[in-house]
Amino acid sequence: MIYIVQNYGGSLLSGAATTMAIALICTFLGCVIGFAVGLLQTAQPHKKDGAIKRGILRVVKLVLTAYVEVFRGTPMMLQAAFIYYGMGSVFGINLGMWSAAIIIVSINTGAYMAETVRGGILSVDPGQREGARAIGMTHMQTMMYIILPQALRNIMPQIGNNLIINIKDTCVLSIIGTVELFFTFRSISGALYTYFEAASVTMIIYFVLTFVCSRILRAIESRMDGPANFDLATNDTLAFTSGLTKYNDKTGGLH
Amino acid sequence: MAEIIKVEHLAKTFGTNEVLRDIDFSVSSGDVISIIGASGSGKSTLLRCINLLEEATGGKILFHGKNVLAGDMNEDEYRTKVGMVFQSFNLFSNLSVLDNCMIGQVKVLRRGKEEAREYAMEYLSKVGMAQYIKAKPKQLSGGQKQRVAIARALAMNPEVLLFDEPTSALDPEMVGEVLDVMKALAESGMTMLVVTHEMAFARDVSNRVIYMADGRIEEEGSPKDIFSNPRKEKTKDFLSRFRSERGE
Repeated sequence: MIYIVQNYGGSLLSGAATTMAIALICTFLGCVIGFAVGLLQTAQPHKKDGAIKRGILRVVKLVLTAYVEVFRGTPMMLQAAFIYYGMGSVFGINLGMWSAAIIIVSINTGAYMAETVRGGILSVDPGQREGARAIGMTHMQTMMYIILPQALRNIMPQIGNNLIINIKDTCVLSIIGTVELFFTFRSISGALYTYFEAASVTMIIYFVLTFVCSRILRAIESRMDGPANFDLATNDTLAFTSGLTKYNDKTGGLH
Repeated sequence: MAEIIKVEHLAKTFGTNEVLRDIDFSVSSGDVISIIGASGSGKSTLLRCINLLEEATGGKILFHGKNVLAGDMNEDEYRTKVGMVFQSFNLFSNLSVLDNCMIGQVKVLRRGKEEAREYAMEYLSKVGMAQYIKAKPKQLSGGQKQRVAIARALAMNPEVLLFDEPTSALDPEMVGEVLDVMKALAESGMTMLVVTHEMAFARDVSNRVIYMADGRIEEEGSPKDIFSNPRKEKTKDFLSRFRSERGE
């Protein structure tokens, strides 16, 4: 094991870096795709929209549903082969290793995230939307400032989950020759015939990556929640200068 | 007094269920109108139709003479002028108390941040919540939330404020603080339309009471008329049932 670390430490680290880079970029892009798809899927036609607009929305929703079902319903390893070799042989486009890897993992993550985002939006209390519409916000404003921030908070654990799955699942990209952590593991074990030791080292690296990520995500979540306490504003000059009532120190309100 | 809202022959059906039938009434500047009636009589639906949260299936809602239901006026613009306070508060749970009262002003009315803040603070102090500007809604009690919700609605400077059972979701000891705020608002001349089960509020604060039954306006008049000598049998029944339940 020590021999592996000494001799292959560099390539293991660069494999790990590739894995992390792909996982991070793809989780981010997957979220962007997921939010776009999830938003469209929860969009309701406005009552004054004409038949054409309604029709377009239905077709778009149908296409998106197909996308989600297909990419959730087939193994990513096959999708990778399908897209990478398919683009090569059918269209004559040679995707670079990086772009192929990123495209595949992103759209795969996007398919999962779309469902997550849809659930996240539906999980926000309908009263939030009514509250926003009642003060004159448009559908877009309601989504941007009220619904999506809450949906995002609700689905943060799921985004973290996806990131961790992506860190591990990038290993299927070794089928198209992406030199990530798993590919490095196979090269080492192939060269030295020390499967057990190589696997141990690689597993430790995977575990460190995922564990650190999940801790960081937890920290981000609790930051989003804000402090459990709040400060009372006592020295705000504007606070008690106007109005029908005076602030009462003892009761803390209007009594 | 200037007429602000005029409702004509308003109707609403859910499937085959007629929830509102032929509703006619008007709201003038300075009016404080209480809408009372049994659960399921259509009171809340009426209010939600006026705020366009429910789509009326017939009739007109005229806002200064413009038919809102026919699209004579932009829906969102209309909503900024007709504020709404909900039974379940519906404060934005991702925003602080201050931001709850500012976001509509900044995003919808396009006020500057400073100006919006001043308005927000003015109304938050009116409802006695200025101290809590940094709190998130979930850190507040029900009564506090409802007072913030009232400030949020007021900060948009609406011409009319609709209240949909504003105290029904509150613990009994918090009802008073919200009613006090509403009373003070009414005295300051705010035009209000209040769906309520608080008969004392309807009797003492409002200048007009509408009694609804089965989706219709059964009787309308001054609080004195409705409470002291109701003309219709249904109104009498409702009030006596209500009094016996409360042990009055």
